[in-house]
Amino acid sequence: MILGFDIICLSLILLCAVLALCIRDLMGSVIVFGAYSFLMCVVWACNGAIDVAFTEATVGAGVGTVFLVSTIYSTTRMDTFKKNRLLKQLFMFVVVCVVGALLLKTVTDLPQWGDANSPANTHLSSYYIENSIDQTHVPNVVTSVLADYRGFDTMFETCVVFVAFIGIFALLRIRKSKSKKAATNQPTTELTLPPHQEVDSLIIKTASHLMVPFMQLFALYVVAHGHYSPGGGFQGGVILGASLILLAVSYNFKKALSILSEKKIILLVSLGVLIYAGIGVICFFLGGNFLDYSVLHKILPATDPIMARSHAMLGVEIGVALTVMVSMYGIYLSLSSNGRFDKGL
Amino acid sequence: MIEQAPALIVVIPLISALFITIIGLYQPRVSWALTIVTFALSSIFAFICLKHVVTVGPISYMFGNWPAPFGIEYAIDHLNALIVLMISIVAFLVAIFSKHDIAKELGDKIPHFYSLFTLLVTGLLGITLTGDAFNLYVLLEISALTSYALLALSGGRAYIATFNYLIMGTIGACFYLLGVGYLLINTGSLNMADIAVIISNNTYSYTVLAAFLFIMIGMWTKMALFPLHSWLPNAYTYAPTSTSCLLAPLMTKVSVYVMLRMMTSVFNYDYIFNVLQWQSVIVTLAVIAILAGSVLALKQDNLKKMLTYLIVAEIGYMVGGAWLGNANGFTGASYHIIADGFMTLCLFLAIGCIIYKVGDASLSSMKGIFTKMPMTMLGFLIGAFSMIGIPPTCGFFSKWYLISGAYEAASWHFLIALLISSLVNAVLFFRIIEVGYFQALPSEEPNHHHPKIKRDEAPISMLIPLLTTAGLLIGIGLYTADIVTYLIQPFIKNFL
Repeated sequence: MILGFDIICLSLILLCAVLALCIRDLMGSVIVFGAYSFLMCVVWACNGAIDVAFTEATVGAGVGTVFLVSTIYSTTRMDTFKKNRLLKQLFMFVVVCVVGALLLKTVTDLPQWGDANSPANTHLSSYYIENSIDQTHVPNVVTSVLADYRGFDTMFETCVVFVAFIGIFALLRIRKSKSKKAATNQPTTELTLPPHQEVDSLIIKTASHLMVPFMQLFALYVVAHGHYSPGGGFQGGVILGASLILLAVSYNFKKALSILSEKKIILLVSLGVLIYAGIGVICFFLGGNFLDYSVLHKILPATDPIMARSHAMLGVEIGVALTVMVSMYGIYLSLSSNGRFDKGL
Repeated sequence: MIEQAPALIVVIPLISALFITIIGLYQPRVSWALTIVTFALSSIFAFICLKHVVTVGPISYMFGNWPAPFGIEYAIDHLNALIVLMISIVAFLVAIFSKHDIAKELGDKIPHFYSLFTLLVTGLLGITLTGDAFNLYVLLEISALTSYALLALSGGRAYIATFNYLIMGTIGACFYLLGVGYLLINTGSLNMADIAVIISNNTYSYTVLAAFLFIMIGMWTKMALFPLHSWLPNAYTYAPTSTSCLLAPLMTKVSVYVMLRMMTSVFNYDYIFNVLQWQSVIVTLAVIAILAGSVLALKQDNLKKMLTYLIVAEIGYMVGGAWLGNANGFTGASYHIIADGFMTLCLFLAIGCIIYKVGDASLSSMKGIFTKMPMTMLGFLIGAFSMIGIPPTCGFFSKWYLISGAYEAASWHFLIALLISSLVNAVLFFRIIEVGYFQALPSEEPNHHHPKIKRDEAPISMLIPLLTTAGLLIGIGLYTADIVTYLIQPFIKNFL
């Protein structure tokens, strides 16, 4: 950690946060918010949390921004909220000050940055660092903690992505017959949507065609190499999803649905979590606890219990990547077509 | 398979939610049956766990077979075994109830509704079972996200109400996460039992204080304790009926459970009641919650909204009871989680039947309801009696323990608030009885002859869960002594 660099980063983050709140043009707000995420990612990297930085870069600065842009596309661009009343503003000010004061007060009590003797560095972390290789054969401790020691959490984190997709899909989806009725009843909703244009730029198409294979190759590498280097199912899945979104943006919606139809999206999103939970259930049947990968050596050829853990982690990461990839794509399609699944960004 | 029961309680609904989504693409109608089977199985495994806890002792289940502080542990003791059983039974009953209502209200979104429904309950079951502070947060996220989607599904006014809930719920979850972060800084561990051992030597640090404060405020936001309650009434009122039947009995109660769990298993009695000494402030907050909830409930004309304000008042009961700091108060609070869960369910199911048949739930449309829907109103009455606190329903016994706790702790304002709230409940429900029983239907008055009001009862799949719940209210009331001695007291003994 370099102190000067951190101070610059953190003050820029603060600036971005305030700016994002102040700008009335929501598109500008979203762009500033993307910058905010990118700066956060720099801060994580400075703190040595490379995996977190990687996730922040792909999700926060990458796909998150795309989602916000497509939401603006199908709603409105200008912020039309009325200002809050003075009393409410005062109340919020007091709440923020109290929370801030409490947070500042605890700073004196926190251990020094990088203090090797702080509880966070001596209790569980040291156990993971010392035993990860022996117990799981995975050099990247983050992956072994994420997918094995605390694999149950990660299964539910994947489930959160699944819920996010199903929730957005269920809320927004409008069937064809209904959308016609809605259009006749409320013509205004149709008018707020910008006129639909076919994107037909040869430059954009060719450029994205050239980029997509490399993105996907990189993403597969991130998924598969998560055991040895920063990365894993979440990051890889998001990059894969981003490559699909890029294709959908550069072509029209028909092409986007021809890559993955609505039905396939729902099927694959569920399948990803099912792979994860399924591996856990197989462990049941082989006589272990839920997600006790070591018993899998009974069915995996030429492995011992420890290597089985490493292999199972790869399987689990693939499940995560599948769910994340397809959810990202599905959420993007839902948002950009306003749930109609006929035309969009 | 029996030793895997703790994991199966959660894993079965999770996997079934995925299958519901997949099968729902082709056979939307199967999802209802699948949901029922799922929660029947969950209830069975929850019962097995409860039996094991009572006969043998607390269960500890290690995911991935990693020893406790390194992996994630499910720690089941007397309290959460009971609450898990309640959650899965409530989910089972609401699942049966929802068939006609969802077909009517949501149409083509049936499979999505059931997969979100199942995942929501998965989240709540996981929160209750887990012995790991961060795992609790992850499942809190699942239950929160699914509940946002489920509440907003009815569209219209539900969108903005749910958006308010989303903001408040997210703030609450953030506070909880901040608190867990502080605990991690201070102890280096996420396992509740492990944290408890480490912080008992480190009572006076600011970090622990901040952690406790953040976790409590987070949970109070989630459970809608009075000044933080504003999201609840609208969110629950405008939601689809089945959603509010599921959320009203479970969401707030599980947050209360988390508060109890944090107070007992992470922090300890000595720290909360002797070092911090906030009990008088919190009990006063609870008193305000009870009074405000009761008064606001009196103002409502819509029965569903009236019930949501009663939930706000009931939260005051449990928070106050837990913070009295004595055995009776704590027994009352724990017992009331179960009792209130079932009585809220009973009332919401009854209102759900009425909305299904009558169309709305305003007081004026209750005229002649007793003749029209006698079975529904029988269930409603039992629920109402339990809410007022008439023996032998379980509402009486929880109030009894809370009042004796308040007497012991000499916190007279809490005692008076409990009595006033009972009175207000009596007024509220007798008003409905008066309108429903003695006032004839308006259309018949001008003609001066009273043709028989046609009996038009809700479908059988709605009545069975309602009457089962009503039966449970009396059953739990009759077995109060057993529940308290075998399930609640062993838990409290460790704490006090």
